Amino acid sequence: MICEELKDAFELYSIGLAEEEERSEIEAHLARGCETCRKNLSEALAVNALMLASAPDAKPPARLKRRIMAGFGVERAGWGWLGALAAACIAALAVWLSLQERHRTAELVEARQSLIQTVAERDRLQRALSFLNQPETEQVNFGKGQPRPPRGSVFVNPRLGVLLIAGNLPPLATGKTYQMWVIPKGGAPRSAGLFQSAADGSALHVLSGPVDAASLGAVAVSVEPQAGSQAPTTTPIIVAML
Amino acid sequence: MHIRGEVEWLKLAAAGFAYAFLQAALRSDDEADLVKRLRSRDPRVMSILYDRYGRLAYSLILRVVRDGSAAEDLVQETFLRIWNRAHSFDDRRGALGPWILAVARNRAIDHVRSRDGRMAASAVDLDRMENSSLFAKLEDRAVSIDRSRRLQSAVKKLTPHQRTVIELAYYEGLSQTEMAERLNQPLGTVKTWVRTALKALREELTEAVVA
Repeated sequence: MICEELKDAFELYSIGLAEEEERSEIEAHLARGCETCRKNLSEALAVNALMLASAPDAKPPARLKRRIMAGFGVERAGWGWLGALAAACIAALAVWLSLQERHRTAELVEARQSLIQTVAERDRLQRALSFLNQPETEQVNFGKGQPRPPRGSVFVNPRLGVLLIAGNLPPLATGKTYQMWVIPKGGAPRSAGLFQSAADGSALHVLSGPVDAASLGAVAVSVEPQAGSQAPTTTPIIVAML
Repeated sequence: MHIRGEVEWLKLAAAGFAYAFLQAALRSDDEADLVKRLRSRDPRVMSILYDRYGRLAYSLILRVVRDGSAAEDLVQETFLRIWNRAHSFDDRRGALGPWILAVARNRAIDHVRSRDGRMAASAVDLDRMENSSLFAKLEDRAVSIDRSRRLQSAVKKLTPHQRTVIELAYYEGLSQTEMAERLNQPLGTVKTWVRTALKALREELTEAVVA
């Protein structure tokens, strides 16, 4: 083919769409330094550039430049400090949120423990009240007429157990606890549980479960080591004779 | 009446912006210096090139692939390719804009072909036509704002068939055989449309150079 015959094929050739025959001819002309074909190719490249530049304008997202420049190890000048500031703010926020979270967790644990204690106290009071509502419950007072000894009442219910309500209990030394005893008539004391008094010296303690009220001779309270004792080791501070 | 007038005004403003942008992007007064820095592996020059050609490349690629996320990936690929192939560029003369656009177009066409399961054989042709030495011989005046205006004017004068085949070639990368299949037309007819369309565009630009 002569150059003139190839003239219309340069645009398609330069975008990779020329037919095989035309492509071979153009390359042969260029390879032998054909000046006409070189000019035609340049002109075709220009036409193509102008065509491609006329695509509808679209604005790329700002992140695209950052992404591309990061690939070349080039950061945007003047924005490094802003990134550092943002990172510092995020770190500070993370620490603050962590502290808040820890504080909230502690509060939650505390609230949960308080709730458990409140529920236990409520159950204990309900059990105590159930003693008082039963007609078969027997009440024995102790400490009456004495100026400063513990005072209170013992309630015995054959079906529910034994309830102790006491006041004026003396403060306990460290490592000590109160222990309640049930003492059958003519028998040895049996442990009826450990308890602590409140700050004002009051206490409420329940021995749950059926008891043989007829054979029960007395209910007593003594001060014992924290783990409790098999038998009273000190003189009882409360003795309620039934 | 008022609304129509405003729409026309907006169209003119948009066209004005596009031309101004094109003019800024395709100017080549200091391109020799950019080419020199590119060949000496100065990574900061990529920031200048992106500012100058990034939007054009993105617009072109988006036009071809019609997918913003893919377009971003392909723009990145385009600039990476420019960086890796800069050594072959002739630093005495520069035509970086046309080269970058050609690379961008070829990346986009290659992506679309791959996505659509179309012929991969011509990927070799695309690769060959990205040879930077071809673009180093392009004269500065060949790509100017005046020629761009003339080309747009010439495109508007094309018949619908001619405009269709031109768009299929440049923006979808269809060969004339593929166009004939797509348009359900004889290959000879498609070839005539393509040849006459390109001739019309070329003549319009040649007149501009002569003028």
